[in-house]
Amino acid sequence: MTKRLFTLLIALVLALAACNGDSSSDTTTTAAAGGSETTAAPAASGSLLQTIQDRGTLICGVNDAVPGFGYTDAEGNFSGFDVDYCRAVAAAVFGDATKVEFKALTAQQRFTALQSGEIDVLIRNTTWTASRDGGEGATFLHTTFYDGQGMMVRADSGIATIEDMANLSVCVLSGTTTELNLATRFGSTPYTPLTFADNDQLQAAFVAGQCDGWTSDKSQLAGVRSNFPEADGGPSALVILDETFSKEPLGPVVADGDTQWAQVVDWVVLATIQAEEFGLDSTNVTAYTGDDAGVRRFLGLPIQTDSGETVFDPGLGLPTDFATQVISQVGNYAEIFDRNVGPDTALGLTRGVNALWTDGGLLYAPPYR
Amino acid sequence: MTAIDTPGGTVRPPFWRDIRVIRVVLQVLAVVVVFGALWLLGNNLRNELIRKNLPTNFDFLDRPTGVTISDSGFDPGSPVSAALLAGIKNTFLLAIVGIPLLTILGTLIGVARLSTNWLVAKAAGVYVETIRNIPPLLIIIFVFNAVILQLPAPNDPATPFDWFVISNLKIVGPSLITESGAGLLWIIMLLGLIAAVAVGIWRTRYSERTGHPHHRILIGFGVVVVFAVIGYLIAGNPIQVALPRLDGRIITGGFGGLGSYFSLLAALVIYTASHVAEIVRGSILAVPKGQTEAANALALSGFQRLRFVTLPQALRIAIPPIINQYLNFVKNTSLAIAIGFAEITLITFQAIGNGYPAPQLIVLLMAAYLVFSLTISVMVNILNRRLQLVGR
Repeated sequence: MTKRLFTLLIALVLALAACNGDSSSDTTTTAAAGGSETTAAPAASGSLLQTIQDRGTLICGVNDAVPGFGYTDAEGNFSGFDVDYCRAVAAAVFGDATKVEFKALTAQQRFTALQSGEIDVLIRNTTWTASRDGGEGATFLHTTFYDGQGMMVRADSGIATIEDMANLSVCVLSGTTTELNLATRFGSTPYTPLTFADNDQLQAAFVAGQCDGWTSDKSQLAGVRSNFPEADGGPSALVILDETFSKEPLGPVVADGDTQWAQVVDWVVLATIQAEEFGLDSTNVTAYTGDDAGVRRFLGLPIQTDSGETVFDPGLGLPTDFATQVISQVGNYAEIFDRNVGPDTALGLTRGVNALWTDGGLLYAPPYR
Repeated sequence: MTAIDTPGGTVRPPFWRDIRVIRVVLQVLAVVVVFGALWLLGNNLRNELIRKNLPTNFDFLDRPTGVTISDSGFDPGSPVSAALLAGIKNTFLLAIVGIPLLTILGTLIGVARLSTNWLVAKAAGVYVETIRNIPPLLIIIFVFNAVILQLPAPNDPATPFDWFVISNLKIVGPSLITESGAGLLWIIMLLGLIAAVAVGIWRTRYSERTGHPHHRILIGFGVVVVFAVIGYLIAGNPIQVALPRLDGRIITGGFGGLGSYFSLLAALVIYTASHVAEIVRGSILAVPKGQTEAANALALSGFQRLRFVTLPQALRIAIPPIINQYLNFVKNTSLAIAIGFAEITLITFQAIGNGYPAPQLIVLLMAAYLVFSLTISVMVNILNRRLQLVGR
C-alpha cells in the first residue's frame, strides 16, 4: 500500500514538473523562429521593457496564414505588415530589427498567450473592441491599419449584395470579431455559418464550394484572393463585395498593467507615421543633415541650445535615436504599407483611410516634443 | 503483531519504525501533498486572474454568445451555456451513432481476420495494420478533404432516386413522419412487445424442459413484427416516408446532417474499429482451444460454434479493453475542430476566442468529457458485471 502511494506521489510530482516545463511550448502552434524556447514571463517587479532588454529578444505574437499581414513562407520566414511592426519594436528597443522571436498564434490562442506573459506584444490583425479592452486584460495601442469586414464570393455565383445570400453558407474563422459581426449583419436572414480554426482548411472548404461566401477583414480577403491558386481559377475567380459591414481597427496589443511598455510600443507605431509626415524614409533618414529642430528632436540628433548641444529625450525608456533605428531598418508607414500590402503587391490595396491626416486619412501622430 | 518477544520481556519498536504508524503517516502525507498541490495551483491561478483584472466567476455563462451554430437554428442572443449545451448535444450525436457502428464494424473485421478464407483474412489484416497506425486527425482531414469535399457543391447537389439530397455541405435522406392514428399503432406495438416477452418466457421454459433450442429472440421478434403489421393496417398507414425536398438552397423534410458530421463519424468509426478488431481477434484467440474442439465434436456448424461457444466467452474478455476504445472515440471527437464541426470543444474554443474566460471554460470542457467518459464506463461496466461468470 505504502509503495503504491509512493509511486503515486512521485508520478504526481513528475507530472507537475512536466506541466511547468512545457507550459511555454504547449500553447504555441508553430515553433518560434528562434531555436530556443524562451518565455516572456513578466518580471516580478519592474517594467517588461527591462525584462525584454535583459533577455535580448522581443517575443512577438503574429499570424502565419494571412498573406500581406502575417505569413510564413515554405522556409519558415515570417513576413507581412504586422511582422514588420514587430521588427520595428525590436529596432527601437535593441537597435536591431532582427532580434525578434515570432510566435504564430491562432485567433483563440492570442489573448491567453498575452495574459500568461508568453508573448511581449501581440501584433496579429487584432480588432480593437471595448470588451476585449475591458475583459481580456489587454491594452490596445495605436491602430496600424483601419480595416472593415467584407464578404468574398465566387465571381460566377451572381451574388452582388449580402441580401442575395439568404439560405447560403458562409465560411468564417472561429473566435473572431468577424464571426460576431456576421451574425449581426445577417440578423434574421437564415444562413449556414461554417466555422474553421485556420485559413487553410477554410480555403479548402471554400474551393470545394461548401461555402458560398468567405467573410473576414477586407484586407485579409484581399490577401487570400491574391494568393488564390491558379488551379482553382486564380484571383479573378473571386470578387469582394463592395459592402463594408464593420469597423475593424487593427493594431498592437499588450497586457494590462505596464504603462511604460505600452507607451514604448505606441510610440514605435507613431514614429513610423511621424516619419512619413516628415518625409523621412529608410533611404534618407541616416543622411539627414538639415536643421529642422522638430526633425532633429525626432531623430535624436544633437540640437544647439543656449546651454550647448543637447539631445532630446522624451523619457519613454527608449534610446534617443530609436526613431532613426526604426526608420532606417524597417521604414516609415508608407514603406511598410507599400512593401506588404500596397498597390504594387499581390494584395494591391490603396491607402484609403490609412493615409496621413494631411492627405485626408486617419493617421495622425501627436507631436514629438 | 509488531511486538517482539525478547528475554527481557515484550519490546515495541520505536514509533518511527512501527509499520502501523508509518502507514497512517504516509497516507495522510500523500493526501496533504495532493490537496496542497491542487490548492496551490488553484490559488495561484485565482490570484493571477485577480491581479490581471480577469474574471474568476462563471457569470459569463448567462451572457449572449453572439454567434450562430450551423444546422441548429441557434439564436446568437442565446447565452453561452446554451451554446455549450448545443455542443454537448453534437458530441452526443457522434457518440450515440458512432459507438454501435464501430462495435459492429470492429467485430466483423476482428472475426474476418481469423477467417480460414485467405483473401478475407488478409484484407482484414491490411485494414487493421494500416488504419491502426495512422493518427486519427489525419484520417479525419483525409475523409473531409478527399471524400466529403469532393461531393457536389450545395448549389448543385446530387439527388439519387429523389430519396437523398447529397452535397458537401449537407447529406439528407428520407425520414419517417407519423400521422394521426400513430397512437393506436404504438399501443398495439406495446401489446406486441408484452406478448413477445411472454412468448420468450414460455420458450425458455419449454427449452429447459425438453432440451430443444428455444429460439426465443427469433420467435419474439416475429411476434412483434406480426403485431406491427396488424397495427399498421388497423391504424391506416400512420407512418409515412418523408423525402427531402430541394427548393433552391433550402432542403425541407428528410433527416440528415452536415458534411463535417459525416466526415468525423466515418473517420473515427473507421479508426476506432481497427482497434476494436484487434481486441475482438485477441479475445477469440484467448478462448481455450478445447472449447472449439468440443463444439466441433458436438457437430456444431461454424456459425453455431461462433454464436454459442466462442463469441460469448470472447465477449467477457473483450469488454474491459473495448470500454477504452469507446472512451477514445468520444475524446477523439474533439478533433472536429480541424474541420469545423461544432461539437463541445469547438464551441468552447469559439467562446474563448470571443472573449469569454479561458480557465473557466476549459474546466467546464474537462468536466463535460469526464461526464461522457464516466457515463460510458458505468454503462459498460453494468453489462460487464452481468456477463461475468458467476463463481459457484
